[in-house]
Amino acid sequence: MATLLQQLINGLVLGAAIALIALGYTMVYGIIQLINFAHGEVFMVGGFASLATYSYVLPDSWKSDWYLALPLMAVGGALVAVVLAVIMERFAYRPLRNAPRLAPLITALGVSVVLKEAVRLWYPGATAPVPYPRAFVDKQFSVEAFGGRITIGSTALLMIAVSLIGAVVLQTYISRSRMGRAMRATAQDPDTARLMGVNPNRTIVLTFAIGAALAGIAGVLYGIHYTNVDTEVGFLYGIFAFTAAVLGGVGSIKGAVIGGFAIGLIKSLAGQYLPGGTSYDLVWIFILLIVVLVFRPQGLFGEPERVRA
Amino acid sequence: MSQLKDVLKPGLARPLAVGGGVLAVIAALLPWVTYKFAQYGGDNYPAAASLQFFDAPFQLEGYRLHTLILGVVVVVVALAPVPARHRVLRALGWGLVAVGVINTVFAAVEGGGLGAVTAADGAIAFGGFACVVAGVLAILAGIAGGIEHVHVWRAKVATPVAYLVLLVSFVVLLLLVAMMLNAGGQGGVGNPYAGPIFLSLLGFLAGALGALHGVGLTGWISKLSDQHKVFSVAVLVLCALALPFTEAGTDYWMTTAANIGIYAATAIGLNIVVGLAGLLDLGYVAFLGIGAFVAANFSGAAAAAFGVELPFVLAAIIAAVVAGIFGAIVGSPTLRVRGDYLAIVTLAFGEIFKKAAQNNIGGLTGGANAIPNVPPINWFGQSFDKSLTIGSLELPSGVLYYVLIIVLVALVMVVFANLKNARIGRAWIAIREDEDAARAMGIKTGQAKILAFLIGATLAGLAGAVFAHKTSTVAYDSFQFIESVTLLAAVILGGMGSIPGAVLGAALLLVLPEKLREFSDYRLMLFGLALILIMRFRPQGLVPDRHRRAELADEGAEGVPIEELNVHDTPGGSTAVAR
Amino acid sequence: MTALLEVQNLSVAYGAIEAVRDVSFAVEQGQIVSLIGSNGAGKTTTLRTISGLIRPKSGRILFEGKPIGDLAAHSILERGVAHCPEGRRLFGRMTVEENLQLGAYVRKDEGVAKDMERVYELFPVLGQRKQQKAGLFSGGEQQMLAIGRAMMSKPRLLMLDEPSMGLSPIMTQLIFDTIRELQSQGTTILLVEQNALAALALSDRGYVVDLGRTTLEGPGHELLADERVRAAYLGED
Repeated sequence: MATLLQQLINGLVLGAAIALIALGYTMVYGIIQLINFAHGEVFMVGGFASLATYSYVLPDSWKSDWYLALPLMAVGGALVAVVLAVIMERFAYRPLRNAPRLAPLITALGVSVVLKEAVRLWYPGATAPVPYPRAFVDKQFSVEAFGGRITIGSTALLMIAVSLIGAVVLQTYISRSRMGRAMRATAQDPDTARLMGVNPNRTIVLTFAIGAALAGIAGVLYGIHYTNVDTEVGFLYGIFAFTAAVLGGVGSIKGAVIGGFAIGLIKSLAGQYLPGGTSYDLVWIFILLIVVLVFRPQGLFGEPERVRA
Repeated sequence: MSQLKDVLKPGLARPLAVGGGVLAVIAALLPWVTYKFAQYGGDNYPAAASLQFFDAPFQLEGYRLHTLILGVVVVVVALAPVPARHRVLRALGWGLVAVGVINTVFAAVEGGGLGAVTAADGAIAFGGFACVVAGVLAILAGIAGGIEHVHVWRAKVATPVAYLVLLVSFVVLLLLVAMMLNAGGQGGVGNPYAGPIFLSLLGFLAGALGALHGVGLTGWISKLSDQHKVFSVAVLVLCALALPFTEAGTDYWMTTAANIGIYAATAIGLNIVVGLAGLLDLGYVAFLGIGAFVAANFSGAAAAAFGVELPFVLAAIIAAVVAGIFGAIVGSPTLRVRGDYLAIVTLAFGEIFKKAAQNNIGGLTGGANAIPNVPPINWFGQSFDKSLTIGSLELPSGVLYYVLIIVLVALVMVVFANLKNARIGRAWIAIREDEDAARAMGIKTGQAKILAFLIGATLAGLAGAVFAHKTSTVAYDSFQFIESVTLLAAVILGGMGSIPGAVLGAALLLVLPEKLREFSDYRLMLFGLALILIMRFRPQGLVPDRHRRAELADEGAEGVPIEELNVHDTPGGSTAVAR
Repeated sequence: MTALLEVQNLSVAYGAIEAVRDVSFAVEQGQIVSLIGSNGAGKTTTLRTISGLIRPKSGRILFEGKPIGDLAAHSILERGVAHCPEGRRLFGRMTVEENLQLGAYVRKDEGVAKDMERVYELFPVLGQRKQQKAGLFSGGEQQMLAIGRAMMSKPRLLMLDEPSMGLSPIMTQLIFDTIRELQSQGTTILLVEQNALAALALSDRGYVVDLGRTTLEGPGHELLADERVRAAYLGED
């Protein structure tokens, strides 16, 4: 029982990270129907950028104060992620906006490979997982219950809190603000949105930027929770997040969050209880992805869309 | 581009071209680097890079000879009545730019800065810069003159003459391939020249080919080969089989060429799925892997799950069938899933395969230990990994694998070509262009799509069987996502739906890393960049399929008529601004 | 005095196909001007070009005497040209109110709420169902919302593309009454219609577009009387 609870907690933490990344996927897909394959790598770059902020930018005296270090690292990670996303939107995706659909997908694949390789080659020591500092927020809460010990770290609580708050803020922004309306309008009917005076390029860049900022923050949270960053996580978490977005219904904020937590819980529980254990936990997620795409491509909360080519 | 066109009056074309050509000739005669590369035995980079025209005018070789040739041709083209002159000029110009930039950049990097290629220690060397400027002048001349359509030769020739022409062209092709493989020798630490010499030659050949394409020669030859298909294929296969007898007939290149062949066969299989049917498959390498594991398990290797040793042909057929079955399974979601969602489904299948193989599923894959020591193919007492002696002629080791793979590639090509022109091929192309319309016309789209996956996977499985024996170790990590991306890159680089394209793409993607060993760390990054740049500037690939409306060329979207898209296909100038 | 909108020798192409070859017309301040013509004559393309969704191949578009042919769609809207597109094109998954707010997207002044009230006065049925999704409305109600949405940007020139398409005769009458009402409030209107009879009856000036060219022009009532127009577009022989 205690094991189950512990696994549920682990799953929720993982799910929180996935949800934060899935938000970017779902928003970008919602607005330009692009599977931004490189989004997972943006998350990874965010993790490395925040680490670089810690290692090379922060003065040593600030490093031990979490209330100074953590926000600045988050800003560093998010900022680099945003700049990266804006550049790739402008130079890789925008020229292909009217191209057949395979072209931007292949480009996204290319961008993803380039980002991963760039970090692997040029970040010092990134050919292997790089240790990430968390000395400043390593408090663990644990209780004896159900015949075992259940532990939850402050980083885990932070991860869950940030992802929930982020989703609520984003949902409010999109449903209430002027730019949010513009985003939804562009997603529904880009031409008519232009007739309303919406600048589609600006709207799309903003969408990319918001998604990237969330992914960058997810990178920081991932780092402090799992105490390392690794060039491999971009691809993996990208797939997780994409699965979450599809499961929840692409374009839906709520769906992305619920999908994210669902994926986290499935991975964690499947690793514990299903045959094959952690060796096969990814396989279950991929099978789930296939099943959802085949039988309910609009996801749990998505509206059945017109036939997609 | 349009502003540039306004400035460049057509009258400027000829003076610009002549100027460019003369400058190129001068560039060829100028020194290119300022000092000797002591660390390479005191040689000038790579050979005769200093001014020596007056004492040994005929010793120009390598890239300087290429520069000289291009320069002379530019002048001739500018003055003589040449069809599609400005298109030819542009191609030649890009060739010059490529040669100039590649050698200059290399010399500057190796020689420690700009001084190595400009002026230092009392020596001057502006050859590289002159060459680039000459190339730019030729390109500008091409733009100024306006780009004409590719010239079409309507000359009808008698069959014997056509045979002769085809024979000569394929032999030339063979010699060029051998020359390219050998250019600069084998890459590696001991031979830093390999990369730039090879790239420079590539640039030169691309420019020359673009020029020949412009005057219509390549189009004519390809038309002839279309008319005499059987003969062409036979000659082509014979030429490929003759490669071991050329200067490229070394152990090393036979092994590399065999690897290229395996990937090319797999890429052609993928081309059925992606290029013909328009279904993006991101997990395709799994079928190669399935074929390899099946063959390994029937090979009698110590770690094999089955203790039987089947003859290679039988094992290969089983491997192909099993891969085909998995292909049909992976393809079955196409009944309900389309477009980029389908791409993700295939990716998921690919990852499931990798995970399963990594965990030694059913004891079939060896997991992290792989299946080592798969014996080489052995026919008639001749082991395929040994060298072969026929009479007094000793052929390099690996030559038998090379021959086997040439046969395999030829087989796959024939399958592909027949399918493409058959009913099913037209059905695939219809599905690619518009699935709903295809269905409305009575095409059983579901069947056709699954069949595409099935056939593609079967071919990959066959290639996998050869792969298992040739590499002798079959490990799950040879079949990762990035390998699927590489195959996809090969197909896209070459041109979707085009057979020569897939072979060329696979060859380039495998030969380049061999030549650029020093940069092997950057291999994946270059793949990624290549994908982005091709999609941006040349979505139809290097050798676009003539019979298809390029799915990935955004014709019409911005008001460019389809014919104009072909205006820019000078191979050397593939990144030219398209409009 | 120069016309509010002047289109000179406009031609527009989709790829190699020229949809508009040589269209010229002018819209004077305060007028209702209609472009009539058969399906595929290039009327919709002309409007889409004026509002900046498509780039002209050649020719000039002048608004208040200044060329707008190479401006982005949102800049053209900011200059005061609103376009109510063919087929309504409402944001079906958004509420009435959100649709109207999007109509006022380029405005930064305080009067948006007041103008929204005016739309609700003009079309009371919208006012009663502000929070409903636009996709749930009937064709006529959607057309009202589409016009109301276009009016929210306070345009100097309102372009209406086939406002009567698919509507019942009563609803069509209501929409045309509204158009006249808008004119009387000072909005200049460029109307594209297949319902030539109703459009010309309403118009100060009409232009006949045929195969991408303007072939006839004149005051609405004169065109209405023209034999060629009657033969071609009003179903008489």
